[in-house]
Amino acid sequence: MSLLQRDDWYDIARDVDWTLSYVDEKQAFPEQWSGVGPVPKEAWLTWDEPYRCTYRDYVSVQREKEAGAHAVREALKRANLYERLDPAHTAASHLHMGTTCFVEQMAITLQSRFCRFAPSPAWRNMGVYGMLDETRHAQLDLAFSHDLLKNDPRFDWCNKGFHTNEWGVLAVKNFFDDWMLNANVVEAAIATSLVVEHGFTNVQFVALAADAMAAGDIDFSNLLSSIQTDEARHAQAGFPTLEIMMKHDPERAQRIFDVAFWRSFRLFQTLTGTAMDYYTPLEHRKQSFKEFMLEWVVTQHERVTRDLGLKQPWYWDQFLECLEHGHHAMHIGTWFWRPTLFWKPNAGVSKAERAWLNEKYPSWEDSWGGLWDEIIDNVNEGKMEQTYPATLPALCNITQLPLGSGWDRHHLKQWKSEYKGRVYNFDSEISKWCFDVEPERYAGHTNVIDRFLLGMIQPMNLEGGLAYMSITPDVMGDDAYGYRWAEDYRSYAQAAE
Amino acid sequence: MALFPIYGVFEGDFVPHLVAIDTDNSMAEIADAVAIHSVGRRIKAKPGGTYEALIADEVVPLDRNFGEVMAEKGVAPLDFVTVRYAA
Repeated sequence: MSLLQRDDWYDIARDVDWTLSYVDEKQAFPEQWSGVGPVPKEAWLTWDEPYRCTYRDYVSVQREKEAGAHAVREALKRANLYERLDPAHTAASHLHMGTTCFVEQMAITLQSRFCRFAPSPAWRNMGVYGMLDETRHAQLDLAFSHDLLKNDPRFDWCNKGFHTNEWGVLAVKNFFDDWMLNANVVEAAIATSLVVEHGFTNVQFVALAADAMAAGDIDFSNLLSSIQTDEARHAQAGFPTLEIMMKHDPERAQRIFDVAFWRSFRLFQTLTGTAMDYYTPLEHRKQSFKEFMLEWVVTQHERVTRDLGLKQPWYWDQFLECLEHGHHAMHIGTWFWRPTLFWKPNAGVSKAERAWLNEKYPSWEDSWGGLWDEIIDNVNEGKMEQTYPATLPALCNITQLPLGSGWDRHHLKQWKSEYKGRVYNFDSEISKWCFDVEPERYAGHTNVIDRFLLGMIQPMNLEGGLAYMSITPDVMGDDAYGYRWAEDYRSYAQAAE
Repeated sequence: MALFPIYGVFEGDFVPHLVAIDTDNSMAEIADAVAIHSVGRRIKAKPGGTYEALIADEVVPLDRNFGEVMAEKGVAPLDFVTVRYAA
């Protein structure tokens, strides 16, 4: 007996649905979880994924991917490759594992909600593959990190990170709690499938995989590439959702896109921007973060807006300014507040690296050079206490990132809103707009500064803050190279001493 | 007399800091408390330089009491207080 061709049965099998009789539609698919709004039920019947996949195909392909990823893992376990890696590069892998493994874990819940509450059977079917994908990703991160625990206790943060109050982890968790775990499925599909997975994971997984391979970290590169092939497939769920929303509820679609794009960008700028432009050894850098963003995200975004009828976000010019500066701000900030990190940041401002930064970012010297010069002088003069913070930086009530980290020192300005008697501060006009259009969504949330002022962090000093964030001496951040890069700038007099 | 949190900005630095001040402090004391987080850390110290303090873009005399200025200008917790070198 010959098997039917896939296209002969796919639509019927995929679109199996049932007619409700014991409950009505709104009870089975509550609005707060489905989020269909004014979109008519029939419209969802047109939902069609561009990347068709049967369960048989899925299992077969995934089995091969798993076998490939683990074969490389097993081979490299015996090669002691990790010990030979550049310490600046390993910081990128600590940062990645600690901040993304549990996003993958959260995504399993997201995909399972697609399976249950999505308004189309085709979408619910696709959610099954997504759920299996995300399970695989979280397990891969944990398995690879477990192998490397013997080299560095920081890999424990792959599992531990999201159970702590470390400020960077809180920033990541805040976004994904909001758009992945608490948003309805329509909003979650646009914000995460379309914007985060299709728009931004290219930066983290493709660019970082290339940089990792160049830096000799075949294991990490192999992990990232294996995950990215899944992302490329299940991220497709965002397109048919957006297409239907653009026909029936375009204003809401535009708002979700605009908020998610800005917030995702700020996170990837922090995670990937610093890793690409400061942690990747100079000789292995393929492109600057800005170049990669312009090629992979901006161009792609413009294609999506053109094809699906979205308008460019109102803040596009400000986004481009932020692309020029924001990750440099996040970098000097994370390096300066390095005791609050669970990874060892590379300063990345030796003379050669500085020349590269100035070539890629023509205003870098004017914006950031002077601030680093003071740090460098302090390092070289042995005034190490001056290279550490004595208080907390101000934080944004939307992104949870420092105020001032959206642009540069010439454009620092207070953006705030008052809502129900409380003042909220923001890192930019754009974050303020995110809050103002939906204040109830964000009101009441406390960032680390709010928690400090509420007395939740005791004792109210750096020691109390580090304990609150679960930072212990064995993982506490310090300069990746032990400040050796600063010797580039030592004067003859200092050298003679 | 009460503790009051502000976000202190030193002109030329890139990030505001959480600074706990006392409403009885003079603006000069507040300027010092803000500057300590930037000057000599990321901003070069200017030997012999003196500070100016600004609230809502207006220079406030250093001998003024913060509690009075706060009431006058409606300064809220975590509002920016900017400090810079006097010209």
